[in-house]
Amino acid sequence: MSLLSLIVVIPLIGALVILAIPGTRTKLIQGVALVTSAACLFFTGYLYAAFDKAVVTMQFVEKFSWIPAFNINYYVGVDGLSVALVTLTGLLTMLAIVYSFNITLRIKEFFFWFLLLEVGMLGVFISLDFFLFYVFWELTLVPMYFLIGVWGGPKKEYAAIKFFLYTLFGSLLMLLGILALYFNSTPHTFDMLELINQARLLPLTMQIWIFLALYVGFAIKIPAFPFHTWLPLAHVEAPTGVSVILAGVLLKMGTYGIMRVSFPALPLATKWFMPFLIIIAVINIVYGAFCAMAQKDLKKMVAYSSVNHMGYCLLGMTAMSSIGFNGAVLQMITHGLITGSLFFLVGVIYDRAHTRDIDAFGGLAARFPVYAGLMIIQVMASLGLPGLAGFVGEFLCFLGAFEAWPYYVAVGTIGILVTAAFFLRMIEKVFLGPFNEKWAGLKDINFREMVAIVPLVVLTIIIGVWPKVCLDLIDPTITYMVGMLR
Amino acid sequence: MSNLILLNPEIILACAGLLILLAGAFIGESRAKLLFHLGTISAAAVLGMVITQAVMAAYGMGTMWVLDPAAQLFKFVILVATVFTLLLSVNYSAIQARHVGTYTALVLWASCGMMFLSGAMDFIYLLIALELISISCFILTGFEQKNPRSAEGAIKYFLMGGLSTAVTIYGISLFYGATGTTNLFNYVSSVDLHYNDPAYIMGMLFILVGFGFKISMVPFHFWAPDAYEGAPTPITAYLSVASKLAALGAMMRIFASVVPHYAISSTMLIAALAALTMTLGNLTALFQTNIKRLLAYSSIAQAGYMLIGLVVADPLGRESVLFYALAYLVTNMGAFAVAMVVAGKTGSYELEAYDGLAKRSLGLSIVMVMFLLSLAGIPPLVGFIGKFYLFASAVNSHTFLWLAIVGVVNSVISVYYYMNIARRMFFVESKDVSAVETDLYTTGVIFITSAATLLMGILPQTFMRIVKDCIGFHS
Repeated sequence: MSLLSLIVVIPLIGALVILAIPGTRTKLIQGVALVTSAACLFFTGYLYAAFDKAVVTMQFVEKFSWIPAFNINYYVGVDGLSVALVTLTGLLTMLAIVYSFNITLRIKEFFFWFLLLEVGMLGVFISLDFFLFYVFWELTLVPMYFLIGVWGGPKKEYAAIKFFLYTLFGSLLMLLGILALYFNSTPHTFDMLELINQARLLPLTMQIWIFLALYVGFAIKIPAFPFHTWLPLAHVEAPTGVSVILAGVLLKMGTYGIMRVSFPALPLATKWFMPFLIIIAVINIVYGAFCAMAQKDLKKMVAYSSVNHMGYCLLGMTAMSSIGFNGAVLQMITHGLITGSLFFLVGVIYDRAHTRDIDAFGGLAARFPVYAGLMIIQVMASLGLPGLAGFVGEFLCFLGAFEAWPYYVAVGTIGILVTAAFFLRMIEKVFLGPFNEKWAGLKDINFREMVAIVPLVVLTIIIGVWPKVCLDLIDPTITYMVGMLR
Repeated sequence: MSNLILLNPEIILACAGLLILLAGAFIGESRAKLLFHLGTISAAAVLGMVITQAVMAAYGMGTMWVLDPAAQLFKFVILVATVFTLLLSVNYSAIQARHVGTYTALVLWASCGMMFLSGAMDFIYLLIALELISISCFILTGFEQKNPRSAEGAIKYFLMGGLSTAVTIYGISLFYGATGTTNLFNYVSSVDLHYNDPAYIMGMLFILVGFGFKISMVPFHFWAPDAYEGAPTPITAYLSVASKLAALGAMMRIFASVVPHYAISSTMLIAALAALTMTLGNLTALFQTNIKRLLAYSSIAQAGYMLIGLVVADPLGRESVLFYALAYLVTNMGAFAVAMVVAGKTGSYELEAYDGLAKRSLGLSIVMVMFLLSLAGIPPLVGFIGKFYLFASAVNSHTFLWLAIVGVVNSVISVYYYMNIARRMFFVESKDVSAVETDLYTTGVIFITSAATLLMGILPQTFMRIVKDCIGFHS
């Protein structure tokens, strides 16, 4: 079995093994989950290392006939757009599993669903057959529903079903779009690369409808305004490990889908929609930032900052240039690292204090230096401090978009300002000022949490100082894609 | 030319029914379960015959009936459903031991009627088949003598059924008046003469009502929830799967092949009814608190989805209906089997019975979630492939893209109530935490249906090929 299939199959086997272990053997279950996700991470890491940066086309391709009646194939491969996302998924899943060792309720089911979720996420990023893509896309839905619904916060059930219905509605519309693409190709095919070649010749009206159908599916996942209302709820109610995956990986599926299919396959419609897309991007940035500013709940604030950061990503995409696209992809990665770690960090404090109210804390920096240090680094990265990863992605997004849409970008910069404002205010309220004696008994961050968080912080710094580690991978594919778009 | 040999499976099944009825009189109550086994074996044997016929491509036509691949596929579906139904009945406590012979015989005869129906090429023959099904099913619905709901359901089913039969007969007489024949073989040769004859179109519409009743198409669906709720659970499963699919098969034959609905300008009517059936079924299901009623409304909605393929009526549309029939067969059977197990343990069909089921039996809960997700159309389960097929046919037709969109919206609505059961099983705690056991027969049915639900979803190719070979209606 070759590398990509192996990467998808490992978590699936792990999930099935966990299902076979009696629920009382909690240590064994945790061990299996850890080993499985570590093995998966190892192979995604190997994929990252073995990936040939000079090649712009798909690598590690595998293709088998699956359902010949509809010309559906098991067809997987990665290029510069997806390889980093695959590795990110492997990394975040493992870290989230390590963090989730503090889960005590129904451990067996938790890790079963978690590994199943990993299968779906990895599958989405490596699929080159649109039908396969859809199957994996939907496969993320059910585990997420249970993960939020069983292990979530007070409003978990509502959050879970809202997430499910929202996403399902989007993905079913997407399915109609996929079918329209399929029936407009000769011979009928779900092969993404082939569809890209054929669909670009479709008339404008047809392209617009298909684009719209696909866009709704993707936009709900991103989430782009006005489809973002499921996000704060789901993020806040989900348990920490799941929030990390939700923000770190699941949101990227939307932007990935647009860059993988919508843009290259439907260039006329893309041009037609561009004015709307830029407006949506700016709304996401500014509105997301202001919403985050209004929050008193730490987790909600981070959740809304995701809306804001995915706005940057959209902004980079509307640039339609290789700089903007590079920025958008890098933003996906760095947002995964930074916001992922922020959700971990919020989880750490919530596990101890059982509150996330910003006003309830104060002066934590003096008592919990390690925790405060990590948090401050990641917050700075999130608000775009040069030298940390967030800055590079955001800068490239803005730089790319400025060429095409200077006025909108000018409005968008308000978002950066507001982001800085609410994050700094949060630091001030939580970490500085007089210490709230109520929290005197709390302990600083422990080893398990360090294991989950520190790798992300290190990567944030590495990418911030030396973005080439990522950009080298992304750039050739992106340049090639942009060349096709023009 | 009568070619009676083509009806051998039906004849054998009817005789087996008679023998079992007779044997029921001589077998003591303590051994009554033997009759279920006899019934199952005869249904399975006839199933084997039908498969053999299909493998040998023994097609042909009689004076009033036809044996073509489509008929064989539906016979297959009916017989599989019959076997499952009888297996589920074995340990169903509400059936009195002294009535087991009658019960088994009635199930076999109803199946026999359905098999007749799937190859009917004459309206008189079709009517007899419909009556055979209806009368057997009326009695079966009322079989729980101690349960007033059962009697209520049976009476409602009977009254509505009687009315719809009357309307159908009236339709047939109009058809006869207009065309001078009830035979669809003869009719085909003089087809162009009648296209604009109002009596003929009227007759066809009345006949449509008869089918609409059987497949519980809105607005002829009112009997379904009450009959489903009252009937013994295996019979509910049987009604919702076998009876519905058999009628759908005959409806496909008539309205998508012999007298295509576009030829009698009723395409838009059926399309609108399909949309209504989906929507009303799903919206009403949202408010149900009883699992049998919920599945009843869900199966109304499922009929609506299947009508999409019938409306499209091109080869892809017909294939999609046949495939969905297979998907619906295993999924719905499985869901009812689980419902029966849960009710057997808790004594209640209310949704509260599902609270905390995941803790009482994780396996059963996961399997139930699979069935529900398959009904909702989530990959990688067979229901998804079925819906994909149906939507594909609608998108391909362009004209009925709107039906696909209605279907999409409906799928989203349906997820809410399907997932509500999953929510109860996984998220809600229950006071009673004792394990839920299943007996051998039910376990077997649940195992086979759940394996089929998963495997046909992951590897649908074989079934797609079968379905492709089966759309050849004789005409």
